[in-house]
Amino acid sequence: MNLSFPIELDFTLRTVALGAAILGIVSGTLGTYAVLRGHSLLGDAISHAALPGIAIAFLLTGIRSPFVLVLGASVAGWVGALLVLAVTKRTRVPYDASLGLVLSVFFGFGMVLLTFIQRMPSGNQAGLNNFLFGQAAALLPRDVIVMSALGVLALITTLVLWKELKLLAFDREFGSAIGLPMRAIDVVLTTLLVVAIVIGLQTVGVILMSAILIAPAAAARQWSDRLGTIVVLAALFGATAGVTGALISAATPLLPTGPTIVLCAGAIMLISLFFAPQRGLVAQGVKNRRNRKNLRELGVLEDLYTLARQHKNPLHPHQAVVLRTMTSGPESVAPGLVGLEKRGWVRSAGRDSWALTPEGYVAADLEFAKWNMDPAAGAER
Amino acid sequence: MADRTAIEVRDLTVAYRDKPVLWDVDLDLPAGVLMAIVGPNGAGKTTLIKSILGLVTPAAGQILVNGAAYDVQRRSVAYVPQRGSVDWDFPTSVLDVVMMGLYGRLGWLRRPGKAERETARHALSKVGMADFADRQISQLSGGQQQRVFLARALAQNASIYLMDEPFQGVDATTERAIVQLLQELRSQGSTVAVVHHDLQTVPEYFDWVLLLNVRRVAAGPVHEVFTEENLRATYGGRVPYLREAALEPPAAPFRLERAAGSE
Amino acid sequence: MKMIRVRFALAVGALLVACGPAEEPAGDIAERQVRAVATTSIVADVVREVGGNRVAVEALMGAGVDPHLYRASEGDVQRMSEADIVFYNGLHLEGRMVEIFERMAEQGARTTALASSIESTRLMSPPAFEGAHDPHVWMDVAMWSDAVESVRAALSELDPQHAADYQARATAYRERLTQLDQYVREQVNRIPQQQRVLVTAHDAFNYFGRAYGVEVRGLQGISTVAEAGTADVQELARFVAERRIPALFVETSVSPRSIEAVQAAVQARGFNVTVGGNLYSDALGGEGSGADTYEGMIRHNVDALVTALAGAANG
Repeated sequence: MNLSFPIELDFTLRTVALGAAILGIVSGTLGTYAVLRGHSLLGDAISHAALPGIAIAFLLTGIRSPFVLVLGASVAGWVGALLVLAVTKRTRVPYDASLGLVLSVFFGFGMVLLTFIQRMPSGNQAGLNNFLFGQAAALLPRDVIVMSALGVLALITTLVLWKELKLLAFDREFGSAIGLPMRAIDVVLTTLLVVAIVIGLQTVGVILMSAILIAPAAAARQWSDRLGTIVVLAALFGATAGVTGALISAATPLLPTGPTIVLCAGAIMLISLFFAPQRGLVAQGVKNRRNRKNLRELGVLEDLYTLARQHKNPLHPHQAVVLRTMTSGPESVAPGLVGLEKRGWVRSAGRDSWALTPEGYVAADLEFAKWNMDPAAGAER
Repeated sequence: MADRTAIEVRDLTVAYRDKPVLWDVDLDLPAGVLMAIVGPNGAGKTTLIKSILGLVTPAAGQILVNGAAYDVQRRSVAYVPQRGSVDWDFPTSVLDVVMMGLYGRLGWLRRPGKAERETARHALSKVGMADFADRQISQLSGGQQQRVFLARALAQNASIYLMDEPFQGVDATTERAIVQLLQELRSQGSTVAVVHHDLQTVPEYFDWVLLLNVRRVAAGPVHEVFTEENLRATYGGRVPYLREAALEPPAAPFRLERAAGSE
Repeated sequence: MKMIRVRFALAVGALLVACGPAEEPAGDIAERQVRAVATTSIVADVVREVGGNRVAVEALMGAGVDPHLYRASEGDVQRMSEADIVFYNGLHLEGRMVEIFERMAEQGARTTALASSIESTRLMSPPAFEGAHDPHVWMDVAMWSDAVESVRAALSELDPQHAADYQARATAYRERLTQLDQYVREQVNRIPQQQRVLVTAHDAFNYFGRAYGVEVRGLQGISTVAEAGTADVQELARFVAERRIPALFVETSVSPRSIEAVQAAVQARGFNVTVGGNLYSDALGGEGSGADTYEGMIRHNVDALVTALAGAANG
């Protein structure tokens, strides 16, 4: 069967897409907790802190196998995370400052080491520079296997500690008060974050990793108010970004896969930002417009109602010009009347005069009588 | 009723950096008492609660709950933190939050089940929030949020309740309901200690009061301890209610005049 | 307070002294060794051959260093400014040092790009990188021989008293290079036409391919800065499997991971391709590797190529 498809679903694409999907799922899941706790950038600090770990691992062992380098990355990332939390806790330095500190100092140190390694005869063959932006296209099945194993471990841990993690994110102090070891659970969450990041280092690299951690989770938050749904959605969005990025990169020569995946995640985030029901900007805009329209119509209705109560015949028409003088926003009268007419609450009586319909009168009565705003109405009652 | 000491605090000193937040505080809170903890800003009221709960490490002193260390007595103590201490935009339901109070007894692997749900619903109905069980907490008003926190504590079926400003930012109806609940707890033999900011209502709501300003100024039954002299000592003359003309004799409890604006 | 001011004055004074210009009497140069700094090890080798004992060459980049990614350190800039003359490849091979060369030229330092003595009409410009020339000019031995000329000319201009020496050495070296070129041609001809495909990590061998009739394919393009995408890996794997090319080659200055990925992809298509060896593309090898000179490097590359591709033809 010959599809005129530019993309060939071959071994390379399958491997890259699978690796990217695993990365997306794990990052989305764990990123949700980071985002909900307001610790989104901790992921950024961890991934940048991983760089010197990679360099040192190579310098110490001379081995350029991804396994060793990734181990170094985990240790360094973990140390970086703990340092951020320790600095925040024990000194006057605020959280965001200690994040920035650890991020830039570790990363700078990593770059210095990288430059040093570059001058070594075997340094370039180690390909450590590829950890900056990832080299997704070079994923091998053995890499994907390691990623899967770590990923499954991380996901199982998340499932087992589901309620503890929820409590940690929502009300950590209460957790401590009822006797749960919140500090230890926090360390576990940080470790899981490190695992998620380390899985992604070979694919999207140190610099872009935090985007994959944050974007799917932030996007998922737009669509649901239930933690379980958000986590699943985030994982789904992450996987989608990963696979889509791999597919697009496979269809376009000279397009690096890692950054493409990040762009896809960003696109999902943008779409969610605008088009999610309820929380989306478009939905909110529509709601605001509708509210304003309602208020406008109610204002006109109220004025008509006032006029009606002062008249022998409540359904007698009145000049629109009168309505315009009664309100501080005369330009809202015409559109208000149009809207009310659509509802069947007013009718046009020719020559720019309008009257309440019986339905309109009843509706106005219901709405405004409770406010008892019309002194005349009070007397009549 | 007061033959048991619910909370015993000895020489409690807590410092933040090098500034003392609590200094040499003693307290013998008998069981079955409804106590208010009052004092100016920075007096250490929240810190006292957190010290009892083991959330803050003291520089000196010891605390006994029901005659033993807190760790042992955890199950009998329920905590209602300040409303502002969490992000109410967190994606969870009212029932979920109340069930969090039960996590302690579930252990590691067990998930909240039917029994836990029942307990939680029961607690919610006690605070009048039974209909809100599946509502997202982001949709709650201030008073409703406060009641959810209360329900969470009630679900724990404790004998001691520690509450941090449960009346803050709450409407009059809710306040009355909460007071009723507290007094009900007291009448069932529970001990309730509440950090309270409205001096005016202390004599009406509480049996006991602890006047705190880094040091313990006084503690005991309201009618004995809530005097103008003690209040002056606690607030250092910053009490806005004192009306010179209406000073009662020092021995009698001081009744504060209603004044615009609160502390 | 007074002590602080004294200390401050001393510090400023010391700074001024340290920053003062070092006087170099130009006339001295005939009496002493010429101090030359070269960027890549390949460039350094040419300068060594032409300069002989007269020139002390220091290479910034050692064996196995990737010149596309190399960032000069403060120490490197220092060494370059203290040297009598700086030699570099040019054509943006040292991609991250271009500004440094420009600035040095502005300040009147002697800089020479070896590629400048090669006729621009002979330079290749790959379609994917419009406007930029492929800088790997040393891969065509005959063409590189022309680059030797720029070294000779620069050294003669700097040190006219020994121009004759430089001329003699350059001529002798170019003679050897002509023989090397011949060797390459003979060797390559041993590979059957349809096996004559060189697949490497990046496009370093275009000139080699054109000069010696070898089809050349690189994964990454003429600079290692760009990351290989999934499509590029797929495309190359398809090519290798279809043409049944027996071997892929890795390079000493580039990570072999991407080539390994291509190999795995090819094997998944049912064709067993081997990694035929480690080629020296952008840098020489270390001491004892046999490729620590330009001639050694070219010989090694050709031998590896022939072994991997010609040998398989009999299979």
